[in-house]
Amino acid sequence: MEDRRERLTSKAFALRKRMLEMCIAAGKGHVTSSLSCMEILVALYYGNILRHDPRNPQWEQRDRFILSKGQASPALYTILADLGYFDASLLERFARLNGRFAVHLQKDVPGVEITAGSLGQGFGLAAGLALGFQMNRTLQTVYCLIGDGECYEGSIWETAMFAAHNRLNNLVAIVDRNYLCVTDFTEKLVALEPLDEKWRSFGFHVVRVDGHSFDALLPVLHSLKSRPHPQPTAIIADTIKGCGVDCICYDPLWHGCAPRGEAAEECLLALEKGASHVQ
Amino acid sequence: MSNNMTQRDAFFERLYDLAREDRDVVIVAADMSAPALDKFRTDLPGQFVNVGIAEQNAIQIASGLALTGKKAFAYAISPFITLRCLEQIRVSNAIMGIPIAIVGMGTGFSYCSDGPTHHLIEDLAVMRAFPNIRIVNVTDNTMARAMADIACNGRGATYIRLDKDPHPDLYEPDTDFEEGVAKILEGERYVVSSGPMVHVVREVIESLDADDVGLIDLHTLPINVPAFLKQIEGARGLLTVEEHFLPGGLGSAVLEVLCDHGLSMPVRRIGIDIALGYTHCYKYGGRDVIRSHYGIDSQNIAAAITTWRQKQTRAQEKEQWLVR
Repeated sequence: MEDRRERLTSKAFALRKRMLEMCIAAGKGHVTSSLSCMEILVALYYGNILRHDPRNPQWEQRDRFILSKGQASPALYTILADLGYFDASLLERFARLNGRFAVHLQKDVPGVEITAGSLGQGFGLAAGLALGFQMNRTLQTVYCLIGDGECYEGSIWETAMFAAHNRLNNLVAIVDRNYLCVTDFTEKLVALEPLDEKWRSFGFHVVRVDGHSFDALLPVLHSLKSRPHPQPTAIIADTIKGCGVDCICYDPLWHGCAPRGEAAEECLLALEKGASHVQ
Repeated sequence: MSNNMTQRDAFFERLYDLAREDRDVVIVAADMSAPALDKFRTDLPGQFVNVGIAEQNAIQIASGLALTGKKAFAYAISPFITLRCLEQIRVSNAIMGIPIAIVGMGTGFSYCSDGPTHHLIEDLAVMRAFPNIRIVNVTDNTMARAMADIACNGRGATYIRLDKDPHPDLYEPDTDFEEGVAKILEGERYVVSSGPMVHVVREVIESLDADDVGLIDLHTLPINVPAFLKQIEGARGLLTVEEHFLPGGLGSAVLEVLCDHGLSMPVRRIGIDIALGYTHCYKYGGRDVIRSHYGIDSQNIAAAITTWRQKQTRAQEKEQWLVR
């Protein structure tokens, strides 16, 4: 257990660093949004949760990971490169001339399932996929990462109602609850809480966990593989926007951008120093 | 041949037959009913999904299903399954190219007593702004049936616009609609129309006994340019007729093709003047009442065709006189 935690923690650190360097070099990318969901993605991809094959991205039996909050593409691209879905040198051309991918998620990148960027949409595709797998009587699980700010979109709730009614227990919604949107904290903007109760009232099995703790995330994700609940599950993962880089946390102004110049140096130093809030 | 069957029933009956043979055919309906649909729901419950009155979700569920190999048909009242879901259609079907069928019930003023929320007079302009989406303004039941087959072929997204009123059959049962355009009547000059207006125009031309006026059914957008240019080759002029606002509609699409190919053919457009707005959508007493207020009923079209012919004939005579 401890070994695994250490292994995944150092993986998350390395990926954070690579992602941050990539965005700094490009001068673009939603850095704080990518940082808040890093442990969630690492748990899925390195914690023996997702069934997938980097040598065969189109493997039919693979589980599907739908990144509905498409602005966290830097985190996913960094992971897919690390896993060998594509040559890691492509990261150097992120959002630059002759690059293969940029700020928002793009379906034609190996390992990526959907194009995202318009919020509230990936979750509907995820539910359609889950329903299709049930109709086909195949065993894939669909994991969908939704931003908490994305929960303002009405389409999320259209899908939530549908998924629960149709008992899509091969669907796992993970809400990256980092409490920040573009301009303000969510609870000041338009309050989302009690978010877990909202999902529960729509018919989901709901768990609320520390989204930066592998000890919290992994047991929940593992337990869902045997589909113990008749209904779909929503994991509300409490996170920190910018987690791992203290100097850009808790500040809405850092939404959607990459640090430059002195700020970039400061961020890299902060990352090395270790985050004050990560165990 | 006249009949009482609607395009909707013809379409869903054919889809029912296809679905019985192919378990991958799935309907995703936004709380819609119809006799043919009820049969589908009863006999093939595993291939019928009702999302409730949630059209945006219908598009996404259908698109997700398509990613698992399903041939998914998202079905609702036309303005709601298109205009309400633009962003979903744009990302899932235009940008990602996920092949689904978007099936809309009602065109033009077919929901005549329901007001402009249920009318459909903007969608061609809007939907044809997207790449990777084939738009079919269905003319008769033969075409409706064929669209069920064509939409199953997985070659991209298709928006099928079904009219609510019954219309006579114009096409032979085994007609191939892949060309996207068909000549209904030969002539020297052509009226170009689509959907239910094709029937109105055909009756007008026949009542005027106007041998020189032909009729082209431009049922599919984007226009299949080579096929369309072939159909209008040597034409003295075109008159487009649509139950749709003029900007961006069928007439606009025709003008774009002519302009882009340097063809200086005289064209007149009949459709809804956007300056009139939605005012006449609140005129009651039937579809023709609304059409007449907007100047697109058979009487107005007959008058327009007559004037158009006279002008064209005079111009022709003048041309001949000059040549002599």
